[in-house]
Amino acid sequence: MIDARVHIGQVCFDNPVMVASGTFGYAAEFEGLVDINAIGAIVTKTVTLEPRPGNPPPRIVETPSGMINSIGLPNVGVEQFITEKMPFLSTLTTRIIVNVAGKVNEEFAQIVARLDEVPGIDGYELNYSCPNVKEGGLSFSADPAIAEKVTKLVRQKTKRLVIAKLTPNVTSIGEIGQAVQNGGADAISAINTLVGMAVDINSRKPKIATITGGLSGPAIKPVALAKVFELVQCVNIPVIAIGGIMSWQDALEFLIVGARAIQVGTANFMDPGAATKTLDGLLSYCRENGISRIVDVIGTLKT
Amino acid sequence: MPGATNDFLVKIEQINLVAQNTFRISLKQSGISRYVHAGQFVNIKIPSNEILWRRPFSVHKINSVQNTFDILFNAIGRGTAALSKMEVGQQLRVLGPLGKAFVYPENTEEIIIVAGGLGIAPFLLLLQDMADMDIPKHLFYGVKTGSLACCVEEIHQLGAHLHLVTEDGSEGQKGLVTEFFEKYLLSLPVRDKRMVYACGPHPMLVKAQELVKRFGLKGQVSVENMMACGFGACVGCPVKMARPTESKFYYLACTDGPVFDLDEVILDD
Repeated sequence: MIDARVHIGQVCFDNPVMVASGTFGYAAEFEGLVDINAIGAIVTKTVTLEPRPGNPPPRIVETPSGMINSIGLPNVGVEQFITEKMPFLSTLTTRIIVNVAGKVNEEFAQIVARLDEVPGIDGYELNYSCPNVKEGGLSFSADPAIAEKVTKLVRQKTKRLVIAKLTPNVTSIGEIGQAVQNGGADAISAINTLVGMAVDINSRKPKIATITGGLSGPAIKPVALAKVFELVQCVNIPVIAIGGIMSWQDALEFLIVGARAIQVGTANFMDPGAATKTLDGLLSYCRENGISRIVDVIGTLKT
Repeated sequence: MPGATNDFLVKIEQINLVAQNTFRISLKQSGISRYVHAGQFVNIKIPSNEILWRRPFSVHKINSVQNTFDILFNAIGRGTAALSKMEVGQQLRVLGPLGKAFVYPENTEEIIIVAGGLGIAPFLLLLQDMADMDIPKHLFYGVKTGSLACCVEEIHQLGAHLHLVTEDGSEGQKGLVTEFFEKYLLSLPVRDKRMVYACGPHPMLVKAQELVKRFGLKGQVSVENMMACGFGACVGCPVKMARPTESKFYYLACTDGPVFDLDEVILDD
């Protein structure tokens, strides 16, 4: 029996394999397609204060070893999230992290304060880094002073887990990492998508309605590894790795580099069972290599 | 759970070239063939590491004795080209059945199908589903040229009255399928209790939608869209709502569709 548990902040997760925001809906979409409770944590699709319709089509395009999306955070807003999405999420025995995004600094704390009244939520992931919304979005994690301030405002509202999700589209992700650590974040998740673009040479139109979007999938894994490596050297709080994880081998690379946990994202679209397969693969690896605790793999990079 | 959507590993029973660059693959899986309804689709993993997304296909027809279901496609992109080169006995990952099916109002006295090119795909299953309904079934089927027309014999066998239209006049009547659909509608003395089903290229759907509205008919459309997942997770396949709310402008092609009532979606932009 492998001990797969990892601790982040005050929370103990059964295993380090989570699913990334925006790739797993509100979990109900995956009912019957995967053993949801076997996943270490569900990070929900982003919830905003008010409902949002999302961006016009086309929203997605397939690219070599990846995809670009510009979905625009469509969601029902925090009040309907509580009444429509929480009832199913509350039936799950795994950990629930609600991803939240605000248009202005104070809005993150406002949403978190409202959600903090609702049972069944283990923590919040602050979406500082969506490249696809007009208002704010990227700016929250491009400026260390703002990132620190927003994190501090949220920290004052909750004792639950606070995770800051960072963008790679900055000069120094380590600097932003230190800022959210100073602001009181329990952990950092990284990376969000890389700003990307694709053009239809026949129509000469961009293949995404908003012209640019966020690149994800295996294409970004090497970038993600480098950014996670940079972060673990710059901060003391745990780093949750995201970026092109398609297999247990990919996940293991991030753990070796020093991530405390990982999130499977784009892979969920192609294989709804991707997260549990990743976990199974990690457990087999531990068994075959005489490793009794998954945490013993973390941060074992030999340089 | 019987009839539930599942990610099946499915064996290729047959692969045939049924028209110019048009392939039909038969796949054996009772979990899909028994429960699928016309208009629903499957999402198929292409066995290549370089092709990330699955590819969605309407279920084309079923064989309830052999427990097989078919898909129909043109080899036009990387995914469909790879699929066309698969061999009998090989296996594919197939997620399905997915999406909403066509509906048939109880008092329907005639159905009129408008299909353009590969848009014929879901309609063999529709005719199979409606085999017991003893009402006239008209199928307006347009292709660029005669060599692209497929399934003609099966359409006859399924009891449909076929109106074949080619753009170059090489087979059937010459012109656009919607022109003949319009002429037919004009020839009808009464038009109520008729149900229209459309699937095909975007301009054809826009025209069919306009005609259905102008003639006061009821109809449904099966739309095609880019999809990363096919089951509502990626939210990448929006279809504009004809009657948006303050905060909701789009349906999802995968879970709200791919079949929509013609009057509930905006196709023309």
